[in-house]
Amino acid sequence: MHPLLNHRRGLAACLLAAALAGTALAALLAVQGLADFAWALAWALPLSTVLSFVALSLYHLCRSQPFGTGRWPRALTARAAAVLLLGGAALALAAGWDAAGLVVGRHAGLVAMSPTGWGLFLLSSLILLTLSVLAHDLLLAVESVQAATLREAEARLLARDMELQLLRLQIDPHFLFNSLNSISALTSFDPAAARQMAIDLAHFFRQTLALAGQERIQLKDELALIEHYTAIERQRLGDKLQTRIDAPPETMAALLPPLTLQPLVENALKHGLRALSDGGLVQIQALVRDGWLHLAVRNPVPAEPTREAGLGQGLRHLRERLAAQYRDRARVSWGATPDGFAVEISLPFESQTP
Amino acid sequence: MTLQALIADDEPLARRLVREFLKAHADIAIAAEADNGMDAARAITELKPDLVFLDIQMPRLTGLEVLELTGRRDGVVFTTAHDQHAMRAFELHAVDYLLKPFTQARFDAALERARLLRGQPQPGLETLISPQPLARVLVKDGEREGGLQVLAVEAIDYIEAQADNVAFHSGGRDHLKAQRISELEERLDPTRFVRVHRSFIINLGSLQGLEKTDSDAHVARMKNGKRIPVSRSGYDKLRAVL
Repeated sequence: MHPLLNHRRGLAACLLAAALAGTALAALLAVQGLADFAWALAWALPLSTVLSFVALSLYHLCRSQPFGTGRWPRALTARAAAVLLLGGAALALAAGWDAAGLVVGRHAGLVAMSPTGWGLFLLSSLILLTLSVLAHDLLLAVESVQAATLREAEARLLARDMELQLLRLQIDPHFLFNSLNSISALTSFDPAAARQMAIDLAHFFRQTLALAGQERIQLKDELALIEHYTAIERQRLGDKLQTRIDAPPETMAALLPPLTLQPLVENALKHGLRALSDGGLVQIQALVRDGWLHLAVRNPVPAEPTREAGLGQGLRHLRERLAAQYRDRARVSWGATPDGFAVEISLPFESQTP
Repeated sequence: MTLQALIADDEPLARRLVREFLKAHADIAIAAEADNGMDAARAITELKPDLVFLDIQMPRLTGLEVLELTGRRDGVVFTTAHDQHAMRAFELHAVDYLLKPFTQARFDAALERARLLRGQPQPGLETLISPQPLARVLVKDGEREGGLQVLAVEAIDYIEAQADNVAFHSGGRDHLKAQRISELEERLDPTRFVRVHRSFIINLGSLQGLEKTDSDAHVARMKNGKRIPVSRSGYDKLRAVL
């Protein structure tokens, strides 16, 4: 079924257009003195209605013969043949319907057209049918673009759902159970600290779950998450862990995908500070410059690298995640520095509109 | 008789908890604490404690590596928060372990068990802590008296049997260890280490090329210039992997 005919309004518009075209044709014939208006209308109206449906039927041809790689000669031939065939049929139909005038006593048919007139009729039919082919091809192209956009949107939604599930799974059980063990240790000699740690832990998990569902969050929310995380780790690691966050006020509302920085801080502890007997300083920096948000996490690392796998994998995962959301407008780089290890991220600066 | 105990865990609160649970046992004294695997290995070697409370995930060396490298097999109480790999292995080999957080009662039971089994190696432990293939070896540190050093197997150029010892040649230095070369050969990755001779294992990563001698035998020329004899069967093994 043609998409226009699926709607009552589409069908009405089609019939109205046919009526207008028929009336115009009849008026033209009357002005030329080829027939009086009433007879011309009796001839032209049914004819234009039938012809408009014929033109619409080309939709099915356009759909079954799409222009694709290596298929266009065939598609073009099919379209030309259909236009010529239907044009000829339209001429025959018009002539036959005209001859029906003899039955009602009009000796020259319903309208009296010269051979030039019939020629023009054929030409205009061919033009009409060609336009119909072009319009249908255009319609189909628009439809396929819309379908592709829809598919892409669905794919993105799916990717985000999957990512969300992954993030939820990523909550490190080792972190959870060790934190609970620390709370268990604190209860006997520092109940207040035990309570504070339980609350930090709850905040951290609750925020992780809340943030993971969003596409973009403000930097200040990510930093708050990091504060809870480092508060817990500070209890576990003692004096080993120091953190410094350099984020000027204008960066606070900058948008970024959730859990971009927190896993980097986690890595900094896991692969860096934990293995150092004196611990060290984790620096988190944010900076807005020339329309870019620059983020960096720096930490010292032990001379002998830890064997715990997964560092490169986590960073590659981050790079893929950002590429999926920003295409080539996000940059992630990492490597050894004189002071240890650094991960740097650049994102287009977007901020929350209040 | 007072028993000496070592507590090895990188988290101060976790060590403190073990200390607290040990207060209920008047006959156990704390000989030392370690916050990383290397210090734990050193303390086990030097102090020979009766009991070892050993966390699995520690920096520098894991708890399992500490046992692997020190040869310690008895009187060990494992603790872990969530090391799935280790937990599966423990279950498989019926080795007891404490899951953090644990209760005083559970701690006491594990302690009792370790105390009973003291002096007799647990049968499951041996297969559990010998990873295949070997990734690191604990060797004597030549520069410090009684010091220990961990050598990554990638850093070893070749290994030479010398009487009851093996010598690891790494970056121009030699490290001795009391071990048999055949035992070592079995545990190294066969795609990277090849026993080319009765007395030599070479690292393929440090191999420059093979040369033929006048007497139709072969020698392996290493990247550092050292030439190592290759036996007939050693040559076949090399041909198979190269």
